[in-house]
Amino acid sequence: MTQVSTSAAAGAINASKIYGKDDSEVRALDDVTVDFALGQFTAIMGPSGSGKSTLMHCLAGLDSLTSGRVIIGDTDLAQLDDKKLTSLRREKVGFIFQAYNLIPTLTALENITLPLDLGGIKPDQEWLDTVIDKMNLRNRLSHRPSELSGGQQQRVAVARALASRPQIIFADEPTGNLDSKTGAEILAFMKHAVTDLGQTIVMVTHDPVAAGYADRVIFLADGKVVDEVENPTAEIVLDRMKRLGS
Amino acid sequence: MMSSPVVRLTLRGVLARKFRILLTILAVVSGVAFVSGAFILTDSVKGAINNLFEELRGDVDLEIRSTIAFGDAARAQRDPVPVSIIEDIEGIDGVRLVEANIIRESTIIKENGDPLQTSGPAFGISWNGPDGLDGRTLLEGAIPAKAGEVAIDKASAEWAGFVIGDTVTIVGPTGKDDFVLVGLTGTGSTSGGGGASVSAFDPVTANEFLGADNKADSIYVGVTPEASRDDVQRAIADVLADAYEVIPGEQSAKETAGAINEIIDIFGKVLLGFAAISLFVSAFLIFNTFAIIVSQRLRELALLRAVGASTRQIHQMIVGEGLVVGIIATVLGLLGGLGVAKGITALFNAAGAAFPAADLLISSRTIMLSVFIGIGVTVAAAIVPALRAGRIPPVAAMRPELGFSALQRSKRLVVGMVTLFAGIALFSVGLFVQPGGTAGTLGGSAVGAVLLFLGVASLSTTVAAPVSRAISRILPFPLRPMTRSVPGRLASRNAQRTPRRTASTASALMVGLALVSTVSVVAASVKKSFTDQLQASVTADFFVTNMSFQGLPVAFAERLAELPELGSVSPFRATQALINDEEKQIGAVKPEMGDLVDIDIQKGSIDSLDEGAILLYTDPARDLNVDVGDPVDITWQNGTKSTLKVGAIYGDSSVAGNWLISLDTLAAVSSATPVDFFIGADIAEGVPIEDARAAVDTVAADFPSAEVQDQAEFQKSQEDQLNQLLAIVYGLLIFAIFIAVLGIANTMALSVFERTREFGLLRAVGMSRRHLKRSVRWEAIIVSVFGATLGIVVGIPLGVSVSLALPNSFVTSTVIPFNTIVNILIASVVVGIFAAIFPARRAAKLDVLDAIATN
Repeated sequence: MTQVSTSAAAGAINASKIYGKDDSEVRALDDVTVDFALGQFTAIMGPSGSGKSTLMHCLAGLDSLTSGRVIIGDTDLAQLDDKKLTSLRREKVGFIFQAYNLIPTLTALENITLPLDLGGIKPDQEWLDTVIDKMNLRNRLSHRPSELSGGQQQRVAVARALASRPQIIFADEPTGNLDSKTGAEILAFMKHAVTDLGQTIVMVTHDPVAAGYADRVIFLADGKVVDEVENPTAEIVLDRMKRLGS
Repeated sequence: MMSSPVVRLTLRGVLARKFRILLTILAVVSGVAFVSGAFILTDSVKGAINNLFEELRGDVDLEIRSTIAFGDAARAQRDPVPVSIIEDIEGIDGVRLVEANIIRESTIIKENGDPLQTSGPAFGISWNGPDGLDGRTLLEGAIPAKAGEVAIDKASAEWAGFVIGDTVTIVGPTGKDDFVLVGLTGTGSTSGGGGASVSAFDPVTANEFLGADNKADSIYVGVTPEASRDDVQRAIADVLADAYEVIPGEQSAKETAGAINEIIDIFGKVLLGFAAISLFVSAFLIFNTFAIIVSQRLRELALLRAVGASTRQIHQMIVGEGLVVGIIATVLGLLGGLGVAKGITALFNAAGAAFPAADLLISSRTIMLSVFIGIGVTVAAAIVPALRAGRIPPVAAMRPELGFSALQRSKRLVVGMVTLFAGIALFSVGLFVQPGGTAGTLGGSAVGAVLLFLGVASLSTTVAAPVSRAISRILPFPLRPMTRSVPGRLASRNAQRTPRRTASTASALMVGLALVSTVSVVAASVKKSFTDQLQASVTADFFVTNMSFQGLPVAFAERLAELPELGSVSPFRATQALINDEEKQIGAVKPEMGDLVDIDIQKGSIDSLDEGAILLYTDPARDLNVDVGDPVDITWQNGTKSTLKVGAIYGDSSVAGNWLISLDTLAAVSSATPVDFFIGADIAEGVPIEDARAAVDTVAADFPSAEVQDQAEFQKSQEDQLNQLLAIVYGLLIFAIFIAVLGIANTMALSVFERTREFGLLRAVGMSRRHLKRSVRWEAIIVSVFGATLGIVVGIPLGVSVSLALPNSFVTSTVIPFNTIVNILIASVVVGIFAAIFPARRAAKLDVLDAIATN
């Protein structure tokens, strides 16, 4: 579990994101350079307004930078138009959100294969079965989201992110809406995805316990990377956060 | 299985929002039902009319009639054909039977003395029985064979309560007479005459009683089975003088049916016009529903974008939902169209029209057009919301506030302005460049009006907030302004919160009410102008008009002229003529008309009529560049050419029309049976009005279809006619307004759904159900009053423009009917209350805890 791949799944180089103009200018990201290794589980932490969500949105190609570059695999996102960005999201990127995660009119299985279906790609059945079994969703596949518990819904979301075997998965506060027990369960599933299935996950969170599941934690404040911890525990993370806050 | 995720998402999306889409479907259904109903009805009736005339034609193989120099074959006033030519025709090889066709107005009098009135004409014919050539059948009794006998159509007999053996009084062109009812006739498959009441006499009696004077309307010819009809036709043509022609029987039937079909087509077009208005209003509703649904699904759509749905797939999804709604609505609408057609037929039959039993015809054109319109309108209305949905950035899945700003972006102001001005320009050009002009320019006006409405609808978003605020400040005028109470304030703020939604909801109502305002201005102007004119230029004391449209027998005016109680009497006849290669309607009167109508003679004298002169209104005089004393070349319908001197030029064409000649001049050039459209008369000096009236009524008793009116009655009957027309127009517009009300109800219901959490919060902090209901209701009222205000602001100028564009002979003064405007405003409040019933109840029913728990 300590094996750290040297090749990067994604990264940002001199990334800046500025909202507003002149007096009301806000630097959400200020010259951030960071990369995320393949097969690693990275947590991005920081207080509200530190730019952690913005960083993730830009890394995922959901939002564009004011200056600097974002690279996923060997693709520079700045070169892509909306059409190519869309297919990149479909094929190379997976998402796990905090809530409102699933399309209410589709069944669990349909939600899982949605990105593949949208791209007209035939799912790799063997991989799909592995993911479904890993997420323990085998007997929930025909249920609608409204018939699933919060934890089950989030597991479907994790399965959806994994289904296309993406280059990298981004998770935005994936446990924010769950109780601590269910949250722990989801984090464990995500950890499995990295260790057992070799996936790469970048997770934004402000929960030190969640960050404790990661291989590496990056701390952001005022749009800058201010600290980094390898193989963290919840205690270390909490400690660093306190220091940052003071 | 559905393979495409877009198809799956689309269908599931529709299913998940069944109730939200229901009202949308209903709106499209009513529009499509209207359109298809109009087509089904006109197709069916036209089919039935064609059948009827084909049946009436019977065994008539050839028909001989006078030729005309110009004009419509079916409506032309043809000179009669002398019965004497029958002898020449009978000798021709292959001719089996020759009959004189005589049809004249003649009215059956019921036992209570009233004339029998059906929805069709009343006429008497010369009949040779079922063995003769025409298609009439004998259903009961015997053929009328001698003087004093008559057969009438079975439907009329039943209607009037006559049985065989009864004595029936009939009034014909030569007067009143009693006949013994010997037979009941039918027409092919029906027992009536297609709505007409028909009295059939033997040829000799017909010639006398119907005043034919041995002149037939046309001559029917039957051909022997062995002979070639073409040969017989050629042989007859050879012996005929130039003034006559011989045509195949079916051609004549087709021409007559065609003339009636044209009227039905106009009726159908009017229905279609209103259907178009309903569909236009429906489009607003559809647009609004989809726009709201898109904003409610913002996160879901953004999520789809985030997991890899392309902009195009999002477009396809929303437009696809429109397609599904359109298909469902079109199928239901076609079924509804059958109902509409049946309903209107039943309505007509209940009013006494013996509509030939017609199967409802759904032609493939009806289906194709309904599909095109129903689906087209729905999909078109869904396009803008779909484009908007495509703009939602994927990041909105996590930060919805970013998505909403994408939904709001728009170049509305510019587009709205451009659309509005283009609309005004097109409308004005269509209206003023060729007043009452060709279909092309009228179409331009219609397109202009549509653009104008769209422009206003789009611009109204800008004023929605301030106007809503203003409305809520003044609205419950006699009571406490609504902004002084919490529910009122909330309602007002809510209406201002989503100006785009408020505006497009109100715009649907605007369209309907703008048209009502327009029509009411035009109607009030026409009414005022007419009354003014009547008072200013018409001095006649009595008017005689005909209840049916066949005109009055000339004997009426002749007998009135003999009455010592009356002074001047003049009938008004009309004929068609070709002047300067254009077909014109020429009026024929006596010079006495000058005492009855002030036509504002500007030059010359009205007495010149008696010298065979023609009188011209100033406009045609200017167009032809002629002055008093100049000659005018005229070709009459029968081909006679004459040159008449201009006797006078007059300045008021409102009653007299553009051209006037004397009755004698008309008689000299046309031998067609003359009929009078109306008769004017004034009272001789010193005679009390009651005596004069009694004298006129005595004469009128012999002419059952005539209606005698004094000036007040005449004015009232004209106004009644106008009001009747208005009632029909308003009735059809109510349809569009009803759809707009559906739209308000729909928007309110969607808003309530959207604000579930907010309402829960309000209830949690102590707002009562009653207050909540009131708040929803107030909001609906604000929206509908806003719509009504827009409608009036748009409709009044439109009405004024139309009034100004109408020719002076029709509208001289423009009137804005303020009471109608007040009524519209009051009605809009009622509309708001009505629309809010369901949404308000729904809002009040929300469970506080559930509502707060809703995300």
